[in-house]
Amino acid sequence: MHVIPGLFLIAGALFTMIGGIGVVRFNDVMSRMHAAAKAPTLGLILAAIGAAIEIGTGRAIAACVLVVLLQLSTSPVASHVLGRAAYRSLDVTLDDEDDLAE
Amino acid sequence: MTVIAAILLVIGAGAFLYRILAGPTIPDRVVALDGLLSVVVIGIIVTAANSDSGVGLSTVLLVALVAFVGTIALARFIERRGG
Repeated sequence: MHVIPGLFLIAGALFTMIGGIGVVRFNDVMSRMHAAAKAPTLGLILAAIGAAIEIGTGRAIAACVLVVLLQLSTSPVASHVLGRAAYRSLDVTLDDEDDLAE
Repeated sequence: MTVIAAILLVIGAGAFLYRILAGPTIPDRVVALDGLLSVVVIGIIVTAANSDSGVGLSTVLLVALVAFVGTIALARFIERRGG
């Protein structure tokens, strides 16, 4: 294991762990969604960069790019749908404006 | 290097697992399940980088897709049934 890919992998794992800590520590569904949606995505990007540098074959780099593109396109959609479902099924307390109120 | 990353991933997975078990509502559990599958994805990537072969990276695509479809399905379920 080389140094720079190892650092990328450690950074990716660190951001994922921070997301997990956020999911435990926050006390609201929307706050937990904020922690669980963005931090692991950044961690996945960093880990994929590390793996692509470490392995280095064309097939592995293509797989890493595909994974990152897939995560970047599906994570906001999943969070959006889940946030709307949580809003409609629970009594979510919002700070100021309520754009989903009918 | 890989050991440090694995330890951090285990701590993160424990945190997500705690939120899955503790709840208190179903959307909380779904959010934590999505995060736990992200931990699985990054764990497979770290394992592939450790063994220096791109064989396991095809699995990553599959797990990411299943995580997305599962989250969407559970969200529709919550919306229809109520949390």
